[in-house]
Amino acid sequence: MGMVPIRCFSCGKLLADKWNLFKSRVANGEDPAKVLDDLGIKRYCCRTVMLSTVEFIDDVIKYAIYRRRE
Amino acid sequence: MNLEVVEKTEDSLALIIHSLPLGLINAIRRIMIAEVPSMAIDDVLIVENSSFIYDEVLAHRLGLIPLITDLDSFVKPEDCDCGEPLGCGRCRAVLLLDVEAKDSIRVVYSSDLKPDPSNPTVRPVNPDIPIAKLAPGQRIKLEAYARLGVGLQHAKWQPVTVCYHRYIASITIHRDRCDGCGRCVDVCYRKVLALINGIVSPVNILECTLCNDCVTSCPRAAIEVRPEKDSFYLKFETTGSLPPQRIFEEALKILRAKASEFVSKLGGVER
Repeated sequence: MGMVPIRCFSCGKLLADKWNLFKSRVANGEDPAKVLDDLGIKRYCCRTVMLSTVEFIDDVIKYAIYRRRE
Repeated sequence: MNLEVVEKTEDSLALIIHSLPLGLINAIRRIMIAEVPSMAIDDVLIVENSSFIYDEVLAHRLGLIPLITDLDSFVKPEDCDCGEPLGCGRCRAVLLLDVEAKDSIRVVYSSDLKPDPSNPTVRPVNPDIPIAKLAPGQRIKLEAYARLGVGLQHAKWQPVTVCYHRYIASITIHRDRCDGCGRCVDVCYRKVLALINGIVSPVNILECTLCNDCVTSCPRAAIEVRPEKDSFYLKFETTGSLPPQRIFEEALKILRAKASEFVSKLGGVER
């Protein structure tokens, strides 16, 4: 729910482990295509998953009611 | 039969196989995808999950995490005689997860999945896979049972991701007819051909997809492209659960077992 897919939908390659690096490098203004090349994501199925993922868990987490367990 | 290793990395293997029929190579490929066993989380007992990730989504995410597989010390649950609903030490591995976000947001990574001391070898291939994200005060506590399975049951048990074979091109250039115009070089989108001293030569033959664009672009019919007979290129990439050579070996073992089963069944047929 609202997080990166663990694997590529089409081929099954593990992608989630590369997500944080991809996200931070793209946020720093790097060209996503170059970052994907650097991370070894070659096929267009995997590249689509990385480019089109929108994480919305952070938006949901904002509405968590703070409840500390006793 | 002759085998040539083109490219070998930690998680992929590319081979050229000479003098072996396509059908046999395809059988090996299909067995690698669907019948070579590997480990994946199959049952999840959730003790507490107060996160925003639903139980079933969490279980699905856990299932897709590739695990380092120890094929020699585990058996498939259907081959085990323990009869336990959750299996025994021979047919399943336990992984434990207990993470609580205290005062700040906490991401649960695959490194938080702790292997049970009874089976330290079975663990996620990569420690950096995000599984869930917890708001302060939220907690996930669960027990995950990993089992051996095959791709036929569920894609999470596939030890390979991409796995394909293709023809190898054999490109003939008739030097008497080629005038070195370079049209075939420009039209080739895989950059297989190059002009060397005014004559077209194949420089990157493994990249050729036999699209025949070069043949149709040549006004003098100086180039011919044909698949090589009984030579094939086989490439596969693993999820990291097993080394590529091991997957190939296991596939061959399974193929051999199938063939000998076939022969033994044939023995019962009257000639």
